[in-house]
Amino acid sequence: MLTIEVNGQSHEATDLQRNLLSFLRFDVGLTGTKYGCGEGLCGACTVLVDGQPLRSCTTTVGAVAGGVIRTIEGLAEDGQPHPVQQAFVAESAMQCGYCIPGFIMTAVALLNRDSQAGSAQIREALALNVCRCGTYQRIQRAVERAAKTIRASQ
Amino acid sequence: MMIGDGERGLHILGDPSQGYPPPPNTYRSVAYANTQPDQQRARWLTVRPDGEIEVYAGKVEYGQGIRTGLAIEVAEELRVPLASVNVLLGDTARVPWDMGTFGSRSTASVGLELRKAAATARSVLLELAADRLDLPASELSAAEGRVASTNDSSRAVSYADLVADHSIERNLDPDVVLTPSSAFTVMGHDLSRVDAEARVTGRAQYSQDIVRGDMLFAAVLRRPSRGAQRGSIDISAAEAMPGVVQVVVEDDLAAVLADSDEHATAALNAIRVEWEESAPDASSVELPEILVKTGHDPFVTQEQGDTEIGFRNADHVLESTYFVPFVSNAPMEPRAAVAEWRGDQLTVWAGTQRPFGIRTELAQRFEIDEQQVRVIAPEIGGGFGSKSPYPVAHEAARLARIAGRPVRVAYTRSEDMTYATARPAAVINVKSGFNKNGRIVSWQVDAYHAGDRPFLGRRGSETPYDTPNVRVTTYTSDSPLSTGSYRSLGGAANHFAREVHIDEIATELAVDPVELRLRNLAHHRFRRVLERAADSFGWKNAGPPSSSGYGVAIGLDVGSYVGMCLEVEIQHKDVQVKRVTAALDCGLVVNPEGARNQVEGSIVMGMGTALWEAIDFRNGRVLNPGFTRYRVPRSNDAPAIETLLVGDDDTPSTGAGEPGIVPVAPAISNAVFSATGQRHRELPIQRYLR
Repeated sequence: MLTIEVNGQSHEATDLQRNLLSFLRFDVGLTGTKYGCGEGLCGACTVLVDGQPLRSCTTTVGAVAGGVIRTIEGLAEDGQPHPVQQAFVAESAMQCGYCIPGFIMTAVALLNRDSQAGSAQIREALALNVCRCGTYQRIQRAVERAAKTIRASQ
Repeated sequence: MMIGDGERGLHILGDPSQGYPPPPNTYRSVAYANTQPDQQRARWLTVRPDGEIEVYAGKVEYGQGIRTGLAIEVAEELRVPLASVNVLLGDTARVPWDMGTFGSRSTASVGLELRKAAATARSVLLELAADRLDLPASELSAAEGRVASTNDSSRAVSYADLVADHSIERNLDPDVVLTPSSAFTVMGHDLSRVDAEARVTGRAQYSQDIVRGDMLFAAVLRRPSRGAQRGSIDISAAEAMPGVVQVVVEDDLAAVLADSDEHATAALNAIRVEWEESAPDASSVELPEILVKTGHDPFVTQEQGDTEIGFRNADHVLESTYFVPFVSNAPMEPRAAVAEWRGDQLTVWAGTQRPFGIRTELAQRFEIDEQQVRVIAPEIGGGFGSKSPYPVAHEAARLARIAGRPVRVAYTRSEDMTYATARPAAVINVKSGFNKNGRIVSWQVDAYHAGDRPFLGRRGSETPYDTPNVRVTTYTSDSPLSTGSYRSLGGAANHFAREVHIDEIATELAVDPVELRLRNLAHHRFRRVLERAADSFGWKNAGPPSSSGYGVAIGLDVGSYVGMCLEVEIQHKDVQVKRVTAALDCGLVVNPEGARNQVEGSIVMGMGTALWEAIDFRNGRVLNPGFTRYRVPRSNDAPAIETLLVGDDDTPSTGAGEPGIVPVAPAISNAVFSATGQRHRELPIQRYLR
């Protein structure tokens, strides 16, 4: 038995070998993090572990024991959506939306690490995620917009 | 669907068969026509006592933005803020019957019906207000959810007050006068999606996300190759595995039901089974040969004049063969369904484009009335046409019935890319005759499209160029893989062959490819999309330098016209699409932001088919059912895209979700030729680039 912190709340995990994505979706009940490929290749399952982006579909609960996990459901602060979430809405950066939580978590991790990230860095960071609807141009604009907002507030 | 007895508010009822009017062109037979409206009238719209507007439609939201489009149309006609319109989709117990969300018909059919429902509601509200305010209706106007006197704005009443104490049912007036495009304040304007916030917060719920109390997770035994039959099976080891509740073996279905997804999968691997495999000894390498050899049922989609006479009289004759492989739709959300029985009542959550069709299938399977089956299509994580058949809904319903508990069946990525349908492969032979002045005088096409549904390959096979002698024949060829719908179906393959061939004619005559097209195009809408795209792209200035190339193509799909110019850059045999200009004429645009988004997506998807994507198979097995060996476009592949919407407001709306893809692959192939001098007639280009 160990304890894992998800979005500020403690959860008990009994099986250290449990797949982290399944644990979050079905045991904790946070289905905003998506299954896309199960191989760590599409990024739909991206969560933050101690602030770093991680593919939860290829990770076990045991591997993140003691870590602090943040999912798409835990990004808002004081009821306000995160600037990256707001920017995706403003740019209509989505179609079906299934990949979007993964893109947002990847972008949040990048901008947390480096709010000065420019267009080329953003493009490369996002290249690890797949949007089959092809909204890349919009996603790029959204993350650039969020970077600007974050820099302005610093 | 059913109206609660005396439910307060104003309800507009109409004919649910609007859920799919017949397509304009008769040979394009409609697939999946297994479902019929089960009632004569259905509720399209309710003005609630709190002033909120409920809209009901049998369409589903799978990325195309239809919820927003329909909300915009209703907000416009009913004179209410967009935020007060709630659109309920795809729940067979609550929305009007619908054949399915395909063929880019949602805006043209259901959208128009909802505009009429909203306009009817507005006229009823004006009547009610005339009574209430004791003023003639001619002195009243509606705005922002209120009716007010045009002379004295203090004499006003809100929609909420008008309907609060009543339950009023009215029939939709099919001849109601709609708001003219010149007076639009909502339609045609850039608005953000009404469901955006749910998508960025993780609240949007997809089939994969449905969890019911006491639900079991299934792992279904899948055949190793196409057509394989199950022989002897030993489930004893699986039954003893942790978390396993039941191992089901029933007819063609074998599955583990367990308390978690991982327990189910682990136990599935412990099942011992012998398979009798029967797939033909064929692979993707021999595919072009198979398609031509097995072509049957020739169907002439276009014929005029006499092509043989045309060829004899032409200055030049050119003949080439083109090939497109099978490609995978690969939506981000693999198919999933949850089924729950309560007595003889079945509820299934399934991300299908055809909730009513699946309801019919399930009722037939279990020999129950359709009213005992409810299918709910939640948010759908993409599909691009392929989520009309939905086998996991059947599996979940069968397993739930056996288990007596709710059951979830969800494809893995590999299952989704192996057992879902593929876009049909095709071999297309084009023979043209043309004169020195660039006029095409004879055009003969023989197109071999894989799969047993011929209409897939007929789409987009006709040439739009003004040619006196034309004969276009499509054949149905045996398919080593299951084929199904995909954005524009065979239209993309037919456009690829035609638009590359047109470029070959331009090369032969040393005429600019835009100029050559214009010399052969009288059609006003075609000329306009081509000219607008070329002009905005800066085509006139485009010369062919060594590492860059420029390509052009035009297309027609679902009644919408598109012209496209693009630039590629090739370094180390790696094609980068740098920028794309697309001009789309889809008539009246309800939601320009949504239309541009669809064109951008079509371009990115088309890039994948042009450059990288092909399903490899051998002996009935898909060899690349995952993103390791099936490369799809990523953000660092994405070009800068400019989309021009050039249609007229007084032309009825046609689809925007599909036409954008048809010119992409030929324009890229033409651009690669302009950069390298290599003519690419086979896709995907990266495999053949020397």
